[in-house]
Amino acid sequence: MNRDYLLNKRILLVDDEQELLDMVVSILREAGFCQIETAKTVKDALDSANSFQPELAILDVMLPDGDGFSLMEKLKGGYPVLFLTACGEDDDKFKGFGLGADDYVVKPFLPKELLFRITAILRRSYKDENPLVKLHGSQIDFSRAEVIKNGEHIPLTAKEHDLLSALYRNAGRIVTIDALCEAAWGDNPFGYENSLMAHIRRIREKIELNPSRPVSLVTVKGLGYKLIAEDR
Amino acid sequence: MNNLPKLIRRFTGILLLSFILLLLVNFVVLAFLMAWQSPSVASSPYNVAIQTGKAFQASENGYTLQEDISTQLKQQDVWAFVVDNDTLQIVWKTENLPDTIPTSYTLSDIADLSVGYLDGYPTYTGKTQNGIVILGYPKDSFWKHTRASWNYNFFAHLPQIIFIVLTVNIVVILLIYVIANVRFLKPVKPITKGIQDLSVGEPVHIPEKGLLSDISANINRTSDILQEQRQQLKKKETARANWIAGVSHDIRTPLSMVMGYAGQLKDDANLTDEECQKAEVIVKQSKRMQNLINDLNLASKLEYDMQPINSAKQNLIAIVRQVVVDFINMDIEDRYPIEWQTDEALTVCPINADKDLIKRAVSNLIQNSINHNEQGCKIYISVTADNDYCTVIVSDDGVGETDELIEKLNKTPHYMLCDKNTTEQRHGLGLLIVKQIVSAHGGTIVITNNSYGGFSVKFTLPKSK
Repeated sequence: MNRDYLLNKRILLVDDEQELLDMVVSILREAGFCQIETAKTVKDALDSANSFQPELAILDVMLPDGDGFSLMEKLKGGYPVLFLTACGEDDDKFKGFGLGADDYVVKPFLPKELLFRITAILRRSYKDENPLVKLHGSQIDFSRAEVIKNGEHIPLTAKEHDLLSALYRNAGRIVTIDALCEAAWGDNPFGYENSLMAHIRRIREKIELNPSRPVSLVTVKGLGYKLIAEDR
Repeated sequence: MNNLPKLIRRFTGILLLSFILLLLVNFVVLAFLMAWQSPSVASSPYNVAIQTGKAFQASENGYTLQEDISTQLKQQDVWAFVVDNDTLQIVWKTENLPDTIPTSYTLSDIADLSVGYLDGYPTYTGKTQNGIVILGYPKDSFWKHTRASWNYNFFAHLPQIIFIVLTVNIVVILLIYVIANVRFLKPVKPITKGIQDLSVGEPVHIPEKGLLSDISANINRTSDILQEQRQQLKKKETARANWIAGVSHDIRTPLSMVMGYAGQLKDDANLTDEECQKAEVIVKQSKRMQNLINDLNLASKLEYDMQPINSAKQNLIAIVRQVVVDFINMDIEDRYPIEWQTDEALTVCPINADKDLIKRAVSNLIQNSINHNEQGCKIYISVTADNDYCTVIVSDDGVGETDELIEKLNKTPHYMLCDKNTTEQRHGLGLLIVKQIVSAHGGTIVITNNSYGGFSVKFTLPKSK
């Protein structure tokens, strides 16, 4: 999958410390992001939000003329927000997520970690631009909920779509049985392990060249499953 | 408060017992005194009179008294005379007979003196051959019961009457005791309740009036002092926890800078391998500092009960599985392979817990194995369940620890919680936090060496119903 379209997203970065701004900007630039604006106060942030029209905002919580939470409410831009802050208390996190933040990163952080989270948010928020996911023996078109294998279009059921999306969001990483059950059956996913196995079998029949020897959707015994995408 | 009825029972028992004992002792002492004070049967005046009567010998020229009796009488200063049956005249008398004693008697005189006195002298009579002998003891030497006469029924029922009187006495005394006690205990009741509340640390205020107002006032004062001390302690603890929270907050931003730039340098293609490695060391060490800051803050909050515990029903297996998967996803070089040893048939293990804290505990244990085994090691994780408990075991096949240190980890408090300076090697906060989290959830924790030759931690949490 092509990641370039994500790198063109406009990112607004708000933090009261110039040195931290410089560093995050350098991390983002090095990763290939090219449209970045910074602000050091709530006022500046609101100004640049108007002119710059960001597609992602990275906000600190403590700012000289206000706090990030209220800033987020004022922005109301319909774009994702990530908090990057030294406030590591659970209460702060809950508050951030409660307001609708897409992620909450507590300082200090590794550049890789920040980049991973930013890309994950961007991919989640702007996924429709290139919906084709390339696997070893097939392709998934999430927007149409179908798999293309050997030129043949195979439709996905709603549950299969949910499961594959959850796996794809964490492509290359193990997703636990419990997280998959939650993705497919909602909040109280006790006792769906057997159904999950049945669904996984059916998904394999659709995406794998040889479903009995899976290479794209592999089992990690006792823990969960992992989707291996070709272009990541 | 349960002690009060017991106390009253005990006191009543003692009171009753002492009452009965006292009575018994009184009876014994009285009997003893009577036996000691009253004359023996042989020397009682009645007997002496009868003996004297028998000791007379009547002849033609009058009566003669045996020598030994007459001297005995004289010794006791007793006078005697004999009145003839027919003439009712004195026919014999001792020399010491007072002049005031008349010489002739009527039958009624005889009847009087046999039960009472003659001219103030206590008199006793004995029978002689033709008459009657009268002994006169010195005045005020004996007291005679002149008109003794009781209803026969009274004597016939004497045992019952004594029993009834005693019972009534006992009941009356008990009543007095109980009434007095109740009146006394009324002010005691709030005091005992106050002391009980003091012991569980609740604020106490007892009305300061009545008999025991001093004690009430003292208890109130004690309570005030305790509350004040508790508040001050809480204030201190809060200040300390806030201080730690503040420091760890302020370190985060500068540390981000160190970590961020070092992280960039580590992957910089323009630098030599050696330089990249140096940057990696900086990243690694700042990561350690990051963990330390997080640990320090959480440990202090858990210690001072300032960490909110948001308990909800959770599946312990899901929580542990997530942590394990997070570690596997992170460990790119595969130096610390994790083996999931939980029985696949066991899919749910319900506990009532704060998900984030339990996650923290499990990841601390895994991180602990990683930190202590630089050369890499295999980590084994299992979750088991029985009827009442869920158990998580995190083991590794790494270097392990000496039995001595394990004993210490199990038994002694962490240096952070010690009240004395210690120069012993300090272990990290990771295990302390696990202990704190487990105990906050009502669980237990055991640290051991294991059959893989490494380190093993097992913690058990109560299952939710």
